Amino acid sequence: MNGPPSAEIVYRPRWRPRGSRPGAHRGRDAGGLGTFRDQVPFLSLPDARRIDLRATLRDPFEGVHVRRFETRVPVEIYALVDLSASMRYRGVADRIALAAELCAGLAASATRIGDGFGLIAADRAIRADLTLPATRHRSAALTLAGRLAAASCPAGGAEGMVEGAHSLLGRPKMVFVISDFRWPAELIRRLFSALALHDTVPVLLADSAEDEDLPDWGLAELEDLEGAGRRLVFLRPALRRRWIAREQERREALAAMAAASGARRPFTLVDRFDAQALSRHLLTD
Amino acid sequence: MPAVFAPYGVETAWVLWLLPLALLPIVASGRRRSAVPAIAAAPADPLSRRIGRALTLSGIATIGGLVVGLSGPYRAGERITRIGIGAQVSMLIDRSGSMNETFAGKQPSGAEESKAAASRRLLSGFVGERAHDHFAVTAFSTAPMLVLPMTDRHDAVRAAIAAIDRPGLDYTNVARGLAMALSQFGADRGIARVLLFISDGAAVIDPRVQDQLRAAFAKVRPNLYWLFLRTKGSPSIHDRPAGEDTPQAAPERHLDLFFKSLTIPYRAFEAEGPQAVADAIARIEALERDPIPSTEVRPRHDLTGWAYGVAALGLLLLALAVLAEADLPARRAVRRIAADEPLRRAA
Repeated sequence: MNGPPSAEIVYRPRWRPRGSRPGAHRGRDAGGLGTFRDQVPFLSLPDARRIDLRATLRDPFEGVHVRRFETRVPVEIYALVDLSASMRYRGVADRIALAAELCAGLAASATRIGDGFGLIAADRAIRADLTLPATRHRSAALTLAGRLAAASCPAGGAEGMVEGAHSLLGRPKMVFVISDFRWPAELIRRLFSALALHDTVPVLLADSAEDEDLPDWGLAELEDLEGAGRRLVFLRPALRRRWIAREQERREALAAMAAASGARRPFTLVDRFDAQALSRHLLTD
Repeated sequence: MPAVFAPYGVETAWVLWLLPLALLPIVASGRRRSAVPAIAAAPADPLSRRIGRALTLSGIATIGGLVVGLSGPYRAGERITRIGIGAQVSMLIDRSGSMNETFAGKQPSGAEESKAAASRRLLSGFVGERAHDHFAVTAFSTAPMLVLPMTDRHDAVRAAIAAIDRPGLDYTNVARGLAMALSQFGADRGIARVLLFISDGAAVIDPRVQDQLRAAFAKVRPNLYWLFLRTKGSPSIHDRPAGEDTPQAAPERHLDLFFKSLTIPYRAFEAEGPQAVADAIARIEALERDPIPSTEVRPRHDLTGWAYGVAALGLLLLALAVLAEADLPARRAVRRIAADEPLRRAA
């Protein structure tokens, strides 16, 4: 990683979080500080400091009105990172480094506005050494995100992701599921339904070497990183078209599964991490 | 060892212990591998699968061919017995000086051909037309000459016949020639045997030798054909001499009588020109048709070239596959540097 991570990711939770701690997001509860929300009778909010004189004088029934303000509360951001063997892939970019860069960006962006950042890494089981409960402690979050780049991913299989999703208890959180989603469809469905309570953002780590950059002609011996054997492929334009169409289908299937469980539209991170593109995606979706 | 491999052998058998190495291409390949996150991303493709299988097979063929080639394979020599239609033909050819003359009794000049040349020409055709016959060639003048023992190598027989128009010499000693021609037949039973006797004259056979010949003929029992190349003006087989009818006065007639007294199938053809000789040979050819077992000796055959050939073919296919390799990693290296640059600046 080069230099300090960019803290440019802008996000907005889909739900109105509750909470009494001051934070950066519009909360569900009304309080004494923040943006004006509405006026309520004095009896329902007996706060003499916020009496709205103008509204009180305007009331023909001479009731006393109190101004109510929106509280701004923090949320917790969790990155659920897949560390199955396929994350070792190096195409145009190093996939695990890309994931680490994204996590560092999230950690920096979240702690900057007082949100907590937590990380759960998992392959077949939760990787305790790369797991951190949500913290507003900036350097702790960044250190762990940095350690992720050097993580080894020996195991094939991502069943620990579901376990990690189940460990996210309590209030709704914003969860970034960072993976290449080279999983069985059933596992993806289980993960998304386990995360149905939360505001889930699937981040699909893609690489142009996987599809668009494939050469038109030639023999290539492919070896599966997850140990599914090796296979010789004779690349030619027709096969390349089929290959790219298949990858496209896979992404669409992922989007459909995410939508079915109420998760957001997947963000596809191709080749390099672009915080602005992610922000656009998060704000428009 | 199964019967199929029985005729095959190798020079250095221990090299064959390396043969299990030929299975290596099933578990490994020399091609550069590209790691992919999921092999299932590549669509199923029968053509690729077939190419992959073919390359594995060529790998097996290459290593197997080299190992087998190093061990020095050969097909052992063997005797093959075949049944054909034909006969054992023992030719007894007169090489006396008179064979050099034409049918007119002169030295050949210009387009004329001698009796020897005519019989050579016609006999070569005779040998070529009958694939399964065995031939033996014996020549005689004063003494008999073993030219070629009984064989089914027709090239050799033709070469032997090609040599019979070399200038002949000396006289005609029929008895010893016949004895040698008879000795050419093997001990096999149930085979048609033909003694083809070609001469342009005859000689007196000693009465004592006559008994030995009679015994030999009775033992071998060949079909005897006498092709008498008669010079114009000389006495025929059937002519009675004007004076005393003794073997000395008419040797041809008395030889004919001797043959007739042998109680074996016998025919005499009297030819007074090349055309007559051709007719006689055609008639002999039509007569002798019987099943005959022929034994062929196949020499030991070196198969090293074939083994190396198979290996070379496999190597060629593998080399083509390497040349056709898609250049994924190199492209990646170039792109990586380019892709890292803006990131560093942005940071």
